[in-house]
This record gives sequence, C-alpha cells and structure tokens, in this order.
Amino acid sequence: MTSEPYVTAAALARRRRRASLARFWHRYRAHRAGLWGLAGLTLIGLVALTAPLTVGADVQSVTNAPGTALASPSAEFPLGTDQFGRSLLGLLIWGARISLLVGLLAASLSVAIGTLVGILAGHYGGWFSTVVMRVTDWFLVMPALVLAIVLATVMSRSVWTVVLAIGVTSWPTTARLVRAQTIAVESRPYIERATALGGGDGHVMTRHVLPNVMPLVLAQTTLGISTAILTEATLAFLGLGDPTVVSWGGMLQDAREAGAVSSGHWWYLAPPGIAIALVALAFTLCGRAVESVLNPKLGVGR
Amino acid sequence: MVMVTKVPPRPAPARRALRLLLATGVTATSLLAVPATAQAEDEKSGGSTLTVAVSQSVDSLSPFLAQKLVSTSVHRLAYEYLTNYDVKDAHPIPGLATEWKASPDKLTWTYTIREDSFWSDGRQATAEDAAWTFNKMMTDPDAATANGSFTANFRKVSAPDPRTLVIELKQPQATMTALDVPIVPKHVWEKVTDFSKFNNDQRFPIVGNGPFVITDFKVDQYIKLKPNKRFWRGAPKFDELVFKYYKDGDAAVAALQKGEVSFVPNLTPAQANALKTQKNIRVNDAPGRRFYALAANPGARAKDGTAFGNGHKALLDPEVRKALFLAVDRTTLVRKVFQDHAVEGEGYIPPRFSSYFWKPAAEQKRSYDPARAERILDAAGYRKNAEGRRLGKDGKPIDLRILCHATDPNDKASAKYLQEWWGRLGIGLKVDCLDSVSDPWGKGDYDLAFDGWSVNPDPDYVLSIHTCGTLPATPKDTGATDNFICDRQFDSLYARQAVEYDAATRSDLVRQMQSRLYDTGYMNVLAYPNALEAYRTDQIASITTMPEAAGNLWGQDGYWSWWSAVPAAASSDGGSGGSSTGVIVTIGAAAVAVLGLVVFLGLRRRSTADDRE
Repeated sequence: MTSEPYVTAAALARRRRRASLARFWHRYRAHRAGLWGLAGLTLIGLVALTAPLTVGADVQSVTNAPGTALASPSAEFPLGTDQFGRSLLGLLIWGARISLLVGLLAASLSVAIGTLVGILAGHYGGWFSTVVMRVTDWFLVMPALVLAIVLATVMSRSVWTVVLAIGVTSWPTTARLVRAQTIAVESRPYIERATALGGGDGHVMTRHVLPNVMPLVLAQTTLGISTAILTEATLAFLGLGDPTVVSWGGMLQDAREAGAVSSGHWWYLAPPGIAIALVALAFTLCGRAVESVLNPKLGVGR
Repeated sequence: MVMVTKVPPRPAPARRALRLLLATGVTATSLLAVPATAQAEDEKSGGSTLTVAVSQSVDSLSPFLAQKLVSTSVHRLAYEYLTNYDVKDAHPIPGLATEWKASPDKLTWTYTIREDSFWSDGRQATAEDAAWTFNKMMTDPDAATANGSFTANFRKVSAPDPRTLVIELKQPQATMTALDVPIVPKHVWEKVTDFSKFNNDQRFPIVGNGPFVITDFKVDQYIKLKPNKRFWRGAPKFDELVFKYYKDGDAAVAALQKGEVSFVPNLTPAQANALKTQKNIRVNDAPGRRFYALAANPGARAKDGTAFGNGHKALLDPEVRKALFLAVDRTTLVRKVFQDHAVEGEGYIPPRFSSYFWKPAAEQKRSYDPARAERILDAAGYRKNAEGRRLGKDGKPIDLRILCHATDPNDKASAKYLQEWWGRLGIGLKVDCLDSVSDPWGKGDYDLAFDGWSVNPDPDYVLSIHTCGTLPATPKDTGATDNFICDRQFDSLYARQAVEYDAATRSDLVRQMQSRLYDTGYMNVLAYPNALEAYRTDQIASITTMPEAAGNLWGQDGYWSWWSAVPAAASSDGGSGGSSTGVIVTIGAAAVAVLGLVVFLGLRRRSTADDRE
C-alpha cells in the first residue's frame, strides 16, 4: 500500500477492495463449517449448472422415458424410476436447477424489497418511517407460509408465482435490520459532513448508506436462500408449484401422489428430501460464516 | 345427477384445507403427519363395525340436493327407490315398488308399492310418500335441484290408494324403470319449508326405509349408519357401518394396513401393487363405470344465444380438433398413467355397459398418427413458423390451456404427455391445475379440460348433459351442461331415444349418438379407468361386487356391497403393521424433518437475535 506515488483514485479503490476481499477470505477460511458449506454449494452449483450436459433436458420427457414405472434402484437407474419410468437420479439433478433458481431469485427479491424499505424508512424517519414499519410489522406477524400459500393459490401456477410469493412474504426481517443499520450509519459525523457539502437524500442513501449495509444484505441473502428453498419445496409439495416443472418439492409431491409412502418406495421419497435439507444446510453454514466474518461482535466460536 | 359424478371423486376444497393444515413449514413433517392422522381412531363399540375410508365431502344429506357420489351412495343405503338394479346384470328389479306396468300408449305408469317396507320411526312406507316426493320435485324448483331431469316430463303423480302409485307423462320416457330418486317420508319432510337450505343433517337418526339408517354425521369426519333390522330384503350383517374421512390416500392405506379401516377405494396403481402382496388384504381391480375424457370448449354460449368465455378460436375448427386427438396416444396413457389399470377409451359409454357400448369403425377411428395430424394441420392452413410453432389464422402461435384437477394425479400425468405430443405439432399447452375447476369451467374460460363421469346402467343422464336444453339460460346462470355442446343432430337422436321403449332400437339410437359425439371431436374419451379398491379379509368375510362377476364395490348402482358384507368370524385386531421399508421411509422422513427444522429454527433464531452496528 505504500508503492508508487502516482496512482489514480480508481486504481486505489480497486486495490483497497481487493485487499478487503483478501482479508474477508482470510477470516472466512477460519470458519471450518463455512468452508464445508461453501464446498457443498460449489458441488451442488456445478451439478446444477452442468445438468444440461450430464443428464440433458430430455430427462424430464415422459414420452421418451427409458425405464418401467416405479422400478427400484438398479445399475441403470441408481435411484430407481418414477411412475413414468424416468430416472430419479436424472430428475434429482435436473430438479436442483429449479430449486436453486427459485431459492436465489426469491431470496434476492425478498432482500431487495427489505433493503429498499429499510433504507427509506431509516433515512427519512418520522411519520413515514412509522407507517412503513407498521406495515413491516404486519408482514412480520403474518405467518409467512400461510401468506405464501394464499398468494400461490390465487395466482396462476408457475415458477414466477412461487418466486413472488416467497419474495413478497419474507422481506420484513431484512427491512428491520437494514433500517437499524441505516440509522446507525446516518448518525455518524461524515454523513453530516456530506449533507453540509450539499449531498442530497439520494446521494446519502446510495453513496454512503447502501455500501455500508451491503455486507449485512449479503449475509441476509445467503441465509434467506435456504429459507426460500425450503418454502419452495413446501409449496411444491402442497401442489402449489408448476406441475409441469421438475423441482425437489414437486418430486416429493409426485411421490406422495403415486402412493410411494404406503408402498415403501423410499428411493422416490428420501433423495429429494435429503437434497433439500443438504442445500439448506450448506447455505445456512455459508451465511453464518459470512455473518460472523462481517460482524466480529458475534464472536469467533461460530 | 344422482347417477353420475364428475371426476375427480375427491372434492377439491376440503382436501386442500387439510393439506394446508399439514403445511407445518417443513416439507417432510407433512409426511410424518400422515401416519399420525391415521392413528386417531375412535373407539370401536361392541359388535362388528364396517369402516369405509372416504375422501369426498358430503355436499348435502338432503336427497333433493345431493349430487356427489358419496352422498348419493349414502342415500342408496338410507332410502328406498321405486326400483333397484340387479346385482348381476343391472336390469331393473323391485325396490319400493314390487311391480309396474305401463298403459298401451306408454303415458301412464302404475307402480304397486310393497307392504313390508317401514320407515325407521315405525310408520309404513306408502304410495302417498312416493307421490308426495315426486309432486314436491315437480312443484318446487329447489327440490328438483338434484334429480329434476327425471320429473321434468311428468304430467301428474297420484296415489289412489296406499299401495298404488300412478305417474302420468307428457311424453313417453325411457327411464321409467330407472328413476333414481330416493323416496322420502312425507310425514317428516312436509314440515320442511325451504328445500334449497335444508340439508337433513340436524336430527338423528334420519328417518328412512333403506337397509341402513343414518345415525350420525360430522362434516369431513364421519358418517355413521346402523342396520335397519326391519328391512324387507333382510337386515345387513354388520352392526355398524362407518364412512370415515381420510383426505390423504396414503393415510387411508396405512389405516387399512393397520386394520383401522376395512375398505379403501380409489387406490393408485402403486398402492394396489403394494397391497396385493399383503396378508389379509384383498385388492379388487375391476372394470370401472367411469370414462376419462378430454373435453374441448366448443365456444360456450347460453340458451339465449349469447356467447361467453374465452375458449381458443382454433378449437372451433374441426380439423384442429381432429389433428390434436390424432396426436394423442391412448395406449401409452393407459399403460403409463393408469399402469394398465384402465381400458383404452373409444366411445362415450364404458364397455361394461355392453348394450350401449359403441366403438368407432376403423375408418372413423382417430388412431394415434402424429404424421397425419401434421398433414391435416398443414392442409388446413396452420403453418409452422421459423421456430417450429404452429400459427393460427390470426398469425399468432397457437397456445392452448388445459384445465386440470389439482387433486387428481392422473390429470397432471396425462397433461405432461399431451404437452409433449402437441409440442411436437408446434402447439403449446399450458396446464392450469386448480382445486376447483368449476369456476372457469362454468364461465367458459377454458380451451380444453379433463372431464369424466360415472355412467349408470341407464345412459339417459350422461347423454342429456350434451344437449342444447341443458345450456345455461343466460351467461350468468349455471346449466346442467357438461361442456356447452349443442348439436342439432345429437339433440334429435337424444329426443328419439328418450321416448323409445324398444331396448334394441334405443341402444341403436344411443350408439348413433355416441358416433355423432365422437365425430364432433368435442368429447374425446381417453380411457375407462378401473375401480381399484382393497378390503381386509379378516374383517369382511364376503362382500358382493356389482356386477357380481368382476365388478366394483365402491359407488355401485345399488346398495349391494355394504348390505351383503358379512363380518369375518374371528376379527383379529391390528394387522401386520407397516412393512419394514415403510419404517425406513418414516425414519428417513423424520431425519429429514428434524434436520430441516434445526436449520429452519437456527436460522430464525439468528436472524432475529442480531443487533448490528
């Protein structure tokens, strides 16, 4: 940091960011659970991304299904087949795409809404904040799942409906956290200086508050994804997902409708359930590690 | 529609309600809740109890309103009808009437009412009761809700003496020995003021003269019946008959395995296969009396001529309908979706009713031929664009919607196949699975829909729902119509068969009607699903199917199954329990649930405990 004397501001900023990223990674590495979570996520992410190459979209096709109905695991179908004769391993891999996609999108939507509401409420304060926070409280006390079910029921069955239903119901926690952080940031003297120099509301919110709440938002997103994936699976299991799209929750629902529970077809039921649990676990581990790196007050033990 | 029931047999809203209750937040906990509900069993009193698992909600216990299969089945048990159907071949046999004869002009029918039928409060059932029931339906439109189609053609019904019932008709009517109308006791029902609201479920036992008496009813929990000891054909053998609600198919099967219920209808192929190998359980896999069809919206309109709804214009073109159904491989549907527990669909009436069964001749038949479907669409001017999408006459790609019952797995499964088959033709298909399809259906807001009816020995009703006369009066009304079909040729054939007393001529007319319906392409029967049901042989020693050779037990045209059921001598309590794999599944599900819950709770705790600076 003490090298060439003539550097541009942009280069300086870049270097600072790189350094802080390195510092972040250094601290993150200290969290073994976080590393496990990251490794798991990388693996699942790779499997999902390479699915078109490994199993191909054809795995969803019912008319070209290769196997017989509800076959038990064999060399050809390591996890057996579903009632249409499709390979369950292939469906599990293909289903990861939808589950992850919905999880990511829904969590992003939820955090985006939460951040917007939180920053606005924290920045403007006064009656505006009171009104917005009461709305937030209302969403907070509403059982999110029930609300999501209602939304998914009244709208048409599609992946986007599920994303929307989850996103719209799970933002209040983020909003509250971001609002608190916004108030804390805005009480610092440099904000006062920025205002004195002519910085408007927009400038303060986007240039000073937003960068300061970003770490919090990042941690919240990572944690939110696992909730979103669980909720997506729940909605699909309840038959509120798009029936023509293969997802893990949808597979559980198909298994139940085929009578897999009473006929003891564990290979149909267990893999999607375990997959959901593992992905949710991986995201939670990562999220916690990120959180404790960014917030030393949480202690080192975690 | 006492005789017919729309598929799916499970009513959507109630099932959904339970599923919502099951929604405890973690997917797998719902799985765990299934065996838990099965264990909540009420105490069995002394004596033999026949417990039947049902899932469909009762719409009403009033015979004037009830249309659902579970309600009409209960009414078969609780009330006598003028005639009944023979258990072997479903020909009309004496019920409340011991004999009947028609005048030479076939316009006056005289029924002799039996002397040995008594209401459960001790009074004798007479012709007066029957006359009152029919007159009520003729004079009060609310009382004609369920079975009005039978009495619409009645001119006058009278009871000159307690043993004689005389029905005078406006026109001949072919259904006079198949009047599926429960006869109610006049002395009880004449006190009812508003038939549209009275549901007959407040005072128990409900006075009736059938083989059973309804003694208790709790919505979506149970219907309890006791045998009518004075029933003229002989009292039933079981001391109690309970219809118990299991909104989840797998929960009902678990209860059957444990011996908590004696009978479970509507099994999935996987459940049937799993139960087949178990001790003390017999699986009945018999030809059903239902058809499963694909209905195309013919452009919904009311009797006053107003068109409504938003059905796709392309479906009004007979060539498009023809091409669509040429691309449907029914044998694959039967093999894959029904796993061979069904028969490939041909005509409208299932083959079980051999006297009315019709199938298309080779040149008329729309056999699976996707190449021909392509040629027909090309010839009719529906060209594919660069992306392979078929364009409609308006230049836009054709995208159809199909209404599917969210509670029927067969609908969803079939839709997946249709999507792929029609996708190859370049036609898009959006699957709308709803808990209750009746709303968009009634408004005509659909392109295609999965449809199905249980057919009675007399096909009059299932044919009547495709006549112009059943269209709603205005777009705001509801009509008895199934699919808004209004076809002059079909209607004239319907009118002819309704007044035809000669069985051979009538069945020929009914076959012509089916041929016409087939050619219009609005109703395309995909399959005739089998009745898949199972019962415990250590609780039921014997039970009669209908027809006696290879017939169904649930949803019969008479009361034969429950009336004939004989309790097993030494009813051992509890069965083999779940199989070991079942235990593994449960443990696996529990592990997943606990894991998920830990993650979920941990995350909840953390996200609220944070206080950042």
